[in-house]
Amino acid sequence: MATQKDYGNPSLENKLRDRYYYSDDTNRDFTQEVEKIGRTIAHMCYQCGTCTGSCPSAPRSSYRIRLFMRRAVLGLEDEALTDPDLWLCTTCYSCTDRCPRGIAPTDVIMAMRNLAARRDIVPRNFLKTVQAIYTTGHGVPNNDVNRAARVKLGMDAEPPTTCKYPEYIEGIKAIIDHYGLKDRADRILSEGE
Amino acid sequence: MHEYAFFLGCIAPNRYPGCEASAIKTSEKVGIKLLPLCGASCCPAPGAFGSIDLNIWYAMAARNVVLAEQMDRDIALICNGCYKSIYEVNHILKHNDELRDGVNEVLKEIDMEYKGSIDVWHLAELYYDPKICGVDKIRESVTRPLTDTKIAVHYGCHLMKPRKERHFGDSDHPMWIEELVEALGAEPVQYRNKMQCCGAGGGVRGFDLEHSLDITNEKMINLQEVGADALTEVCPFCQLQYDRGQVEIEEKFGIKYGLPVLHYNELLGLAQGMSPDELALDLHAVDCTPFLEKIL
Repeated sequence: MATQKDYGNPSLENKLRDRYYYSDDTNRDFTQEVEKIGRTIAHMCYQCGTCTGSCPSAPRSSYRIRLFMRRAVLGLEDEALTDPDLWLCTTCYSCTDRCPRGIAPTDVIMAMRNLAARRDIVPRNFLKTVQAIYTTGHGVPNNDVNRAARVKLGMDAEPPTTCKYPEYIEGIKAIIDHYGLKDRADRILSEGE
Repeated sequence: MHEYAFFLGCIAPNRYPGCEASAIKTSEKVGIKLLPLCGASCCPAPGAFGSIDLNIWYAMAARNVVLAEQMDRDIALICNGCYKSIYEVNHILKHNDELRDGVNEVLKEIDMEYKGSIDVWHLAELYYDPKICGVDKIRESVTRPLTDTKIAVHYGCHLMKPRKERHFGDSDHPMWIEELVEALGAEPVQYRNKMQCCGAGGGVRGFDLEHSLDITNEKMINLQEVGADALTEVCPFCQLQYDRGQVEIEEKFGIKYGLPVLHYNELLGLAQGMSPDELALDLHAVDCTPFLEKIL
């Protein structure tokens, strides 16, 4: 009786038979780094999938938070940081509230995003927000329609934030420059054009 | 009068000024005075900034907290995203010496020091807190009850979650904002999957608009099912996602809902007799007229 099924393609057979990860694929420090930045005990994950079951992004994309948790535990750094799904988490923290191990998968994602950003992997909209805050102090700056509406409401056209007191923007620039983030944002954005 | 430094954030003052105006006016009627927090900036956006580098997020949020520390007042705010940044960073830095030292090293460059001397509150929780205001006081302040209206509540994620870093308890079936809505004479309605995210957070609105709108659309379907006259929330970013999002959903998916979306402060303003003009409701993308006709 025939017991073997195959595709008749030896190299594909080999590939499919090989279900192991090798030490070359993993970075042991990755787990620790994720845990340090995310301030959470990622290695306690036992892959129950409650996180993916709670996730509003999961039903409408290939984003699986459980997969990212596995990558965190196994140290699969490249796989985790280069997967664009990393940026589909809305950070709603439903998984965090439901995790039976008391892990914060959301903060694992945040940590991985931080590590991806160190490799200049960041979606453009994130960097544009940085530029807006650097210039105006606001991620969503004031505009003329809004100024007119404010005046009609009997308020100052500029709210008492950095809008009205732009002298405070220097402090914000100093903080962002301390980390060199504005220059990095400018560079990454211009490289993408 | 309880006095607070009023942290505005971005979207309330720069897109929905009615949220700001109504917060100042409605709170005064229940014994809360909101003082301007001069020179405050973006919280900064927890999704956008936190994703790039949490350390910068800590430092930028701490700068805003320090401004309030210099006024010696607790912070009150009206946006869940701001709550995530300002409340959480304040909380983290109070309990983590290593991070606090790191933040203070950066703040030293601009002659500031984070001390951890104040607390951060969402205005909605102050309204609910009987020691500060309480539901009864809200009810007494109502001059134009929102009778015969069905209002659904969206709590928003970063107000309630993660539960262990908040103090609201149950984040699956909370009812306290419903109590605040009931105090206005309206009928709060329950709907399926109430605690689901609006879809905007974590930078997803900017990264993949259709994906983010699809999450919003699911909420809209659930809201439509129970025949709500309006949706109320306590977060201008959720408001933006539901309000402008409905226009975008119509453009992209061809579905029209026309559900008015009002911040709780705007709703309270209406119940306290403020006119739609005083709330700049004309800036809302979804026409609020059907709802206003029911109450005016």
